[in-house]
Amino acid sequence: MAEKSLPAPPRSVGRSILLTLPVLLWSLLMFSRAFQMPGRAQQLAAAVTLVFMVGLFFLMMRTRETYRWRRWFFASLGFLFPVGFLWQLYALRGSMSIPIEKMLSGDTPFCFLAIPMMLIPAALTRTVIFPGSILPTASNPHSIAVMVGLWFAATLILGKAWCAYGCFFGGIEEGFAAFPKKARIKDINPRWRWAPWAVLAAVVLLAGATFEPVYCTWLCPFKTVTEYAEVRSIESAIQAGIFLSLFFGLVVILPFLTKKRTQCAFLCPFGAFQSLFSKIHIFDIRIQRDKCLDCVACRRSCPTLALTDESVAQGKTLLECMRCGACVDACPKQAAVWHIKGTEAGAHPERARLLFLYGAWAFATMFGGSILANSLERIVGLVM
Amino acid sequence: MNRLKSILGQLAAALTVLAAVLTPFLLMDRFAHGVAATGVQVDPVYTGPPPRFTLDRPGYRITVHEPLRKRWALDRISSYVQITWAPAAALPPEVSESLDLNGDGAPDVAVHFAIPRDLTAALRFDAQPLTGLTEPVRGASRDNFSRIIARLGDRIIVRIPLASGH
Repeated sequence: MAEKSLPAPPRSVGRSILLTLPVLLWSLLMFSRAFQMPGRAQQLAAAVTLVFMVGLFFLMMRTRETYRWRRWFFASLGFLFPVGFLWQLYALRGSMSIPIEKMLSGDTPFCFLAIPMMLIPAALTRTVIFPGSILPTASNPHSIAVMVGLWFAATLILGKAWCAYGCFFGGIEEGFAAFPKKARIKDINPRWRWAPWAVLAAVVLLAGATFEPVYCTWLCPFKTVTEYAEVRSIESAIQAGIFLSLFFGLVVILPFLTKKRTQCAFLCPFGAFQSLFSKIHIFDIRIQRDKCLDCVACRRSCPTLALTDESVAQGKTLLECMRCGACVDACPKQAAVWHIKGTEAGAHPERARLLFLYGAWAFATMFGGSILANSLERIVGLVM
Repeated sequence: MNRLKSILGQLAAALTVLAAVLTPFLLMDRFAHGVAATGVQVDPVYTGPPPRFTLDRPGYRITVHEPLRKRWALDRISSYVQITWAPAAALPPEVSESLDLNGDGAPDVAVHFAIPRDLTAALRFDAQPLTGLTEPVRGASRDNFSRIIARLGDRIIVRIPLASGH
């Protein structure tokens, strides 16, 4: 058996601070508006979020590990997003359910999960088959144009890494997957990774046929922690039952048993849709075959089944790789490396990681950080 | 060639970081305006079809909208016509109207609804077809997007399903 190599030594504190400085300046710029607000709760929430985000980046620099520290951010995002979102819903309408009047008056926030389903109807009829307003209004700042614009920016910067640095829904299951020390279910048939593609194809075609966002109406587990149409009929009661079952099955129980993001790996059509952009995204992960021990630590650590024995043998991750860094951190020989396409694999892995993380963390701070700050503000407001 | 690919790759990586930095200040707005500029609209199933004609009544106005027809067989929405009363505050406690929906001079449907004083109380309506253009409706409230009465701010909208073939 080959000798296990030592993990990379930690970076010096001074150098880590220097590398964190751009993120600190960026974060100060992002939260500067919150600091000027009169509310103490808002200022405090912004300060805590800033320290949290910058602190995690510092730890990524110091330890050279990505996954562990990113997971703190991501799980916090997953658990705090519903707090802020539901708080706002209860303040506005006193309930999680969307009255039909809100849909008719365009007062429902747009959800990015609907984007793939919009494509065929928009091409055929130039209409968006999701309630809401195109431009932001006072009662609905999360309009369709804003959210699709945000998705476009996220895709440009992150590609499939949206699933690891932006998607608050993924944070919930990552949080549950982090609780147990060991997975109770270890062997998952890699064929399951085709399931999200099948769901994507089905919901896109069905949405084109019925002009209905089918996934949102019938399958979205995250309705359980966001908002759903009022239960007014047997049909809507069945839908609510499906939402609850999928949420507890795929977002709570299975992640706990497998330590994987099972909703992302087995169901999410948006994740599959984002995978389509993996080919054009400039950053990826490579496995250096000359260093690889075939110990499959990388495959075991991958939360979304984006590594198979075949892909490891080819030195690549699959399209589903969300650049979370779990495999890189798990590899005992540093054979799994961050990589910029066009460059030689393993030539400058830390440079590739740094460049990727600067972009990803800037987006995470802008998007996820503002969600964290908003939710924290509600909690701090309760205490103060 | 490999060196050129490497330089281009690193340049693209640097541009990605630049895009991330510029997103909240420049790109987000531009992308959002770009989406709006495509001219896409929210499905009229939610927003309501465009107005066809209006009828002035003392203190309020009735707008009859273009009919929204099932786009094809699998479309989840049944065809309907929407009628809007505004401002709701100026309406009498009970509204009864015979309306010409297709502009041929003959009334097509008799609509009746009461407006409860309690703004949170459910509205209900009846629609009696007079020409076979619409389906009969009795006591409907918020059944679905094609058969509904709803208060939207200062408007009351009524959607009556069209009879098959119309």
